Order: sequence, then structure tokens, then C-alpha cells
Amino acid sequence: MKKERPNSFVIAEAGKCIGCKACELACFAVHNRDNGVAAAVGTVTVPVIPRLHVIRTDSFTMPVQCRHCENAPCAGVCPVQAIVQEEGAITINEDRCIGCKACAMACPFGAISLYKAYSSGQEHKQPHLRERLDGRLERKTRVIAYKCDLCHDITHSGNIASGESAAAAVNNSGSPSEGGGEPVPACVSVCPEQALMLVSPSLGESRSRKAAGLRL
Amino acid sequence: MTNKVLTICPYCGSGCHMNLLVEDGKVVGAEPADGRTNEGNLCLKGHYGWDFLNDPQILTARLRKPMIRKEGVLREVSWEEAIQFTAEKLTAIKEKYGPDAIMGTGSARGPGNEANYVMQKFMRAVIGTNNIDHCARVCHGPSVAGLTYSLGDGAMSNSIPEIEDADLLFIFGYNPAVTHPIVARRIVKAKEKGATIIVSDPRKTELARIADTWLPLKGGTNMALVNAFGNVLIEEELYDKDYAANYVEGFAEYKESVKKYTPEYAESITGVKADDIRKVMRQYAKSNKAMILYGMGVCQFAQAVDVVRGLASLALLTGNFGRPGVGIGPVRGQNNVQGSCDMGALPNVYPGYQSVTDPKIRKKFEKAWGVMLPDKIGYHLTEIPHLVLKEDKVKAYYIFGEDPVQSDPNAAEVRETLEKMEFVIVQDIFMNKTALHADVVLPATSWGEHDGVYSSADRGFQRIRKAVDPPGDVKPDWQIITELATAMGYPMSYRDTEEIWDEMRALSPKFAGASYKKMEEQGGVQWPCPTEDHPGTPYLYEGNRFSTPNGKGRLFACEWRAPLEQPDQEYPLTLSTVREVGHYSVRTMTGNCRALSKLSDEPGYIQISPGDASSLGIEDGQLVRIISRRGRIVARAQISDRVKTGATYMTYHFWIGACNELTGDALDPISKTPEYKYCAIRLERIPDQLRAEQKVREQYESLRKQMHVGAGQA
Repeated sequence: MKKERPNSFVIAEAGKCIGCKACELACFAVHNRDNGVAAAVGTVTVPVIPRLHVIRTDSFTMPVQCRHCENAPCAGVCPVQAIVQEEGAITINEDRCIGCKACAMACPFGAISLYKAYSSGQEHKQPHLRERLDGRLERKTRVIAYKCDLCHDITHSGNIASGESAAAAVNNSGSPSEGGGEPVPACVSVCPEQALMLVSPSLGESRSRKAAGLRL
Repeated sequence: MTNKVLTICPYCGSGCHMNLLVEDGKVVGAEPADGRTNEGNLCLKGHYGWDFLNDPQILTARLRKPMIRKEGVLREVSWEEAIQFTAEKLTAIKEKYGPDAIMGTGSARGPGNEANYVMQKFMRAVIGTNNIDHCARVCHGPSVAGLTYSLGDGAMSNSIPEIEDADLLFIFGYNPAVTHPIVARRIVKAKEKGATIIVSDPRKTELARIADTWLPLKGGTNMALVNAFGNVLIEEELYDKDYAANYVEGFAEYKESVKKYTPEYAESITGVKADDIRKVMRQYAKSNKAMILYGMGVCQFAQAVDVVRGLASLALLTGNFGRPGVGIGPVRGQNNVQGSCDMGALPNVYPGYQSVTDPKIRKKFEKAWGVMLPDKIGYHLTEIPHLVLKEDKVKAYYIFGEDPVQSDPNAAEVRETLEKMEFVIVQDIFMNKTALHADVVLPATSWGEHDGVYSSADRGFQRIRKAVDPPGDVKPDWQIITELATAMGYPMSYRDTEEIWDEMRALSPKFAGASYKKMEEQGGVQWPCPTEDHPGTPYLYEGNRFSTPNGKGRLFACEWRAPLEQPDQEYPLTLSTVREVGHYSVRTMTGNCRALSKLSDEPGYIQISPGDASSLGIEDGQLVRIISRRGRIVARAQISDRVKTGATYMTYHFWIGACNELTGDALDPISKTPEYKYCAIRLERIPDQLRAEQKVREQYESLRKQMHVGAGQA
């Protein structure tokens, strides 16, 4: 029987992050292969929509992303049940999302953002809702909630929480790179400072307990 | 099938190894490779900075055919016509005004070392002048001059991998989180290993944030601070007395010069607390392995060479040379700016830093090249506007792989200079602002389309390789120059870049043993590498023998001079030019990379403090007007609490928010490097934001049209 584990999550060390946004771009690239970002030629029409956000204040810099909460408050407030737990991650069904922003307000980490929806490199227009633009009624573009999905079905191999150096990283065609090891999200494998890691906790265990005990 | 081609990244001097992924003759991706400096890591430019090769025409279009200006318009012509026309014009100008009326540049970017060797040979042997220089002049020129004076070699004395093993890192006017993320990685690792990090910078940079001590000095006060450091080392007898006695000269004069710069006196100039000055110097002197790393915050002032020598003096006084993990590192900004200096694309030296004024050396090159060579040092790049506009001395300009209208200070003056010249040649891969003033445009192959060698910032020769065929009718830079030389009556021909390289190293003792074969086997060769059986040199000055004439390190200090243009009532703020991590240089490359240009695009940004923003009524993200005595532009406000009141920062990457329309042309008296880091400006709020946004969009469109976007086939 498979051992029950809490959800994994990506976390950054502010002491290593240099704010270069390689993670944001890697995230954007692997999630937008259908929007022409992976292709070698042609124009990228979609704006950079990362699912993690590098924040910078006076005293710290680091990317903030979803913690994949075990009792996810975002899912609790979603009126259309678009947010579910599946395969070790909390994910948003972007087709189902109505853009009500409740999840973004409920998230204590600010890990959810709303942006326009795109498909095949074009803004995704809704069938019914119209908006008035320059005096004309136009179909309004869908706006949906985006957040980290742990690169769900597009994972990569390389450095994981063990701290091994990134022997492999995401390439632009979005295919998993060689290198073996556990699959990791694109942001983790691309970070040149190894400031990001995928943490896979176990129930009842603590990574820091032993270290704390040794310091006593 | 995906084919992998191992090469070196074309951005910054970190010299990262990477594979280009090629499918059906097109580059479709990049992945890191295990290089000496990058160990399987790339920054975002390395990962996402390759697709300009596929000519997406976002900012500007690839040049595909030679062009000659006819009736005021650049018209496509054949290579024969372009070469013939250029050769005839240059020959005529040389005959009429003499060889010194012609100026040429090297290129610190894509072309590689071989093309730079051929270019300086062309200027010296074919034209007959030492008027060759390149963008190192506007960058680490002061390092080359200052470190050559102090230590003998104008380069990093240490290596990038050694950084993580230092006990103390003293980072001065250098922001590697933005300019060299892969070097920043070593600094982060050093901190993890327990090193003390000291950062001196007016802005709270990412490294200032993680530093043990941050010295937030006032812009333009470097020399006062560096002198105070020397003062503490001597007054508190922290310096290494044996080392100073045996390996260093000029102690008595140095001591006298720094006497007046007590920490308290320096505090009154720099704003850095006297106690902090004492504290960091005690730490620096006590450390077993202390390393200094510095960047443009030292070099882009009108007092730059002096500060470089002053920093080198600190390392000399404390005996921090001749071992791994110590020394002084000017970390070079462009991928091959070390290389174009190595190759002698400088007005005073042949390849391998051999002086043009030394008769013995000149004779060696005369014999090898079969012509008499000029014995006078040539013009500096930054003197050209004055030499053209005021003295009428330079008539022709061969601009190879540079865009001075975008990169050099006081853009209006640069444009006027180019307009006044009789003949301007632009050789590049992209249409650019400078090419708008060209009489001839010669299209060249890009990185990824040719072979060669780049020099990383830490003196490492590494091979770049051709991955794909170029689009259109373009040629490698070295081949264009050899065809021009031949048309001017000096037959030049090479089979490949290796033949050029072998000619170069046969003439350059420092590089003599750095063969293609050795680079292949070792992954790279760090100079000096004097013989075939020498593996190369990770750190300089083994045995504390310096490369100065008498083998001793030279101490230096002098009076601090304030920057030339001070803020006043009309222009109350200061402007310093900086970099942004996702873009590179004049943006012809990264501006044509789809993901990078999406991350940040025109008109660019101006960083301002929250205090100045609120007193001017400016909100974050709004367009603002920025005005100096030399020009006016529009850019987007970026309000940052890491910026001090009164100071502003812009990057020189952007074409609409082009900060060099504003910057001044004050120069360092020795290196002739401009004061990019300090000029006075005024900010104005724009009430009608909608109209301003519309105007920026229109400006971008018209700029793209000028850059031939959409004109040719994509």
C-alpha cells in the first residue's frame, strides 16, 4: 500500500535568492507550451503569467508560491468547486473557474493571482458576457485564478530537496531533461542559486527536529 | 532529432558552458552544461536568451544583405559592391587625410577573439593607425589601466570558482545578482560556507541585503572611502609589514596621501559611519583569505582609475595575492570584453598587452605582418565626439559590433558626430540605432552561427561553436574584414578561426600555449599560458611576483574629486545607470528574445525613492518625463524603498527610455571612461497618462519600422 503523505510544496530560501526571476520565466514557459512559448519561431502573444511571484521588500527577496495546504482555505471558499486535491497537489480547474477572486482573498500566502485566460496564444473570449469597448459590445476575455500546480504533468528531474546541484534543468520545449532523480517543478530545476526546493514532508515527521536536537 | 552543440553563453563574462538544442537546422532550446565557472547552472538569459537567432523581429530585424546608402536610403547591394565601395572610400580618406583620420572598433560581444584580432590587424597593418578601441572604454577601461599600473595585468587576479572559498568578500560597486547571477551564486555559496560579506553600494542591492555589513555610501565618493580604508590599515597597523616591505613599493607616498582621510573625515564626505569603516578594515585585515570584487560602481566615474588602484592597494597592503581565494576581481560585464582587450582592440597595445610604443615589440609585429606599423598610441573611443566636432580630425568610423548611439553617453552628441563624419561603416547582426547613420552596413554571422574563442572574465579562453547556418547572405566578421583588407591591397586570408588563433598566439607570449586542442581537452585555458605543456593559470602572481616592470606591486592614493555635474535647483536629482537581470547591453539580442522581452519591455524604468515619488505625485508604474541638460525621455516609474531620496537609477538597455540621452560626457582623465554613474536630472509627472501610453506605443512602432521590422522575411 502506498504510504500516505502530505502534499509536497516548493519553498525558497531568502538568504540565497537574488531575485533574478528565472523561476518565473521557467514557470511561464512550461505552462504555456500551447500558447507558442515553447516554439522556436513566431511571436509570443501572451504576457508572462508566472504561478509564483518574486517579491522584493526593503529587507528580503524571494518567490512566493502555493503551500498546497492540507486543509486548503481556497478550496473551501470556491463557490464552483474548481479547486480540488489531486495527486498530491491542490489544483485549480481553470475551465471551471469563474474569476470570483474568493480564493485569492482566502489564501494567507497571496499565492493566487488572477490574469486573463489564453488558449492557442489568443485571449480566451467568453461565449455570453459582453463588455462595451469604444462604444461597441465585444465578447469579454475570461479572467481566471492561477497558482502553482507543482508542474503536475510536466515535471522535471534534477536537484531536489537533498540539495544536489542541478545536473539538469528545464529546456524550452518543456520536455523533462535527462539526469535521473525525483521529478521536480521547473522553478526548482532552473534556479541558478539553488534557492528553491521541493519539500516532501511525511506525517508526524519534521526535517528540523533532529537538527534542533543536535544544537541543544 | 535534437542535436546538441556545446558552446559558451553570449551574455556576461561568467563564461557559462551550455548546449544549444538544434532541430532541423534551427535552435529550439538551451540547457546548461558542466563548465568550470557555471557547474551546470545558467541564469535566465542563458536559459531563455537564444531565440533572437530565429529572428522574431520584436525590437529590430536581423541584417541579411549588405547595404549602401544611396540618395539617403540604405539599399541592399551585393557583397562585391559593398566591399569594393568600402575599400575605395577608406583608401580615398586615408590618402586625403592620413591613416589617423580613420577610427575602428573591436567588438566585445558575439564575434569572438579571432575577429577582434583580425580587426586590430586591419586597423594597424592595412589602415596604418592605432585608432582601435571598443566598449571596454565605457566599462572596465579603468580596470585595465589601473590594475596594469598596480599589479601588471589588467584582469581578475583570481578565478570565479575561488570566490566561494574566500573567508571574506569585499564587494564594491558591483551588483552581480543582476549582472552575473552565476557569479552571485559563488558569493551565496561563500556565505553558506561562513564567509563574511561586506558590500559597499549606495543602493540596497540583493547582496547588500544578505551582507554582514552594508556600507551605503553617497554616489561619487568612492575615492574618499577607499582612502579611509588605507588610512585605517596604516594608522591601526593592520597591514602586513613583511609583505609591504618585500613585495610592494610606494609605501611612504601612500601613507602620506591617505593621512588626511581619517574615518571621521571620510564619513563627512561619504556618509558611511566612521566606526563601520574601521570595523570592516579590521575584518578585512584579519581575514586569511580576503577577496575584493568590483564592477561598474567603481569604473563609471570620472575618477575611476584612481579608485581601481586604491582598491588594489588594499589587497597589496594586506598580502592578499598569489594564493587561491584572494586578490582583486574586476568582473567583466560583456561575454568577451576580456577577450577584445586580450586581442589588442585597444589603442595602446597589440594582442597580449604588448605596448605599441615599444620598438622591439613593434618590430616583431612589423615582421609578422610585413608592413611598417605606427608608433603613436591611437584615439580613445570616447574622445571621438570631441575629435570630430571640435577638432575635425576623424573622418571615417568603422563600427564593428557596437551601437554607440545607444550605449555611449550623450546620445545627441554621438548622433551629431556620426552625421558629421564623411564615412561610417556599421558591421552588425541586427539593425540598430547607429546603423541609421551608416553609409555602409555589413551583415555578419551571430553567436551560434560561427566558431571561435571567448575569454571569460577570469581570463579563461573557451571555445564557441557553430550550431546553425545563418539566415540570408551574411558572412563571419573576420571574413568580411579580410575581404576588405584584400580589396585595399593587403591580401589577407584564413582557412578558419583556428588558423587566426594560431597566428595570434605565436605573437603573444602570454597566450602562446593556449591551443584549440588544449581548450578542447580542458574545457578552457586561463591565461597566462606561455607554453604548449602549461595548463594555464587560475590565479596570478604566484610567489608574490607582480607583472610590473620591477616585479613589485605599486601602492597608490590621491585626493578625492567630486563628480562633475552636481544636482542644483533646476536638476535636483542624481541619475546613475545600472542593469536589469533579464536584459543585456543595448538589447538588440535580449530585446529580440520572446520570453525576456515579455518579462520587461519598452520604455524601460526609472527607479526612484518613495519620498521623491510622493513629493512629485508620481505613482508606481506611471510614465514620467526625465530631463537633463542634454536630453529628455519618458520611462516608467519604479518606486523602490531600496533607493535613497535624491537618487534615481535607469538601465541603458531600453530604446525609448534611453538613459544615454541624459548622461554626461565627463571622462576619467586616464582611461577616458565616462561618468555614467552620476549626472543631474529633473523628473516631471505626466498628468495625461493615457495619452503618454499611446505616444510610447506609437514611438515603439515607428522605432521598429526604422529597424526594418517586418520589411524582410521572418
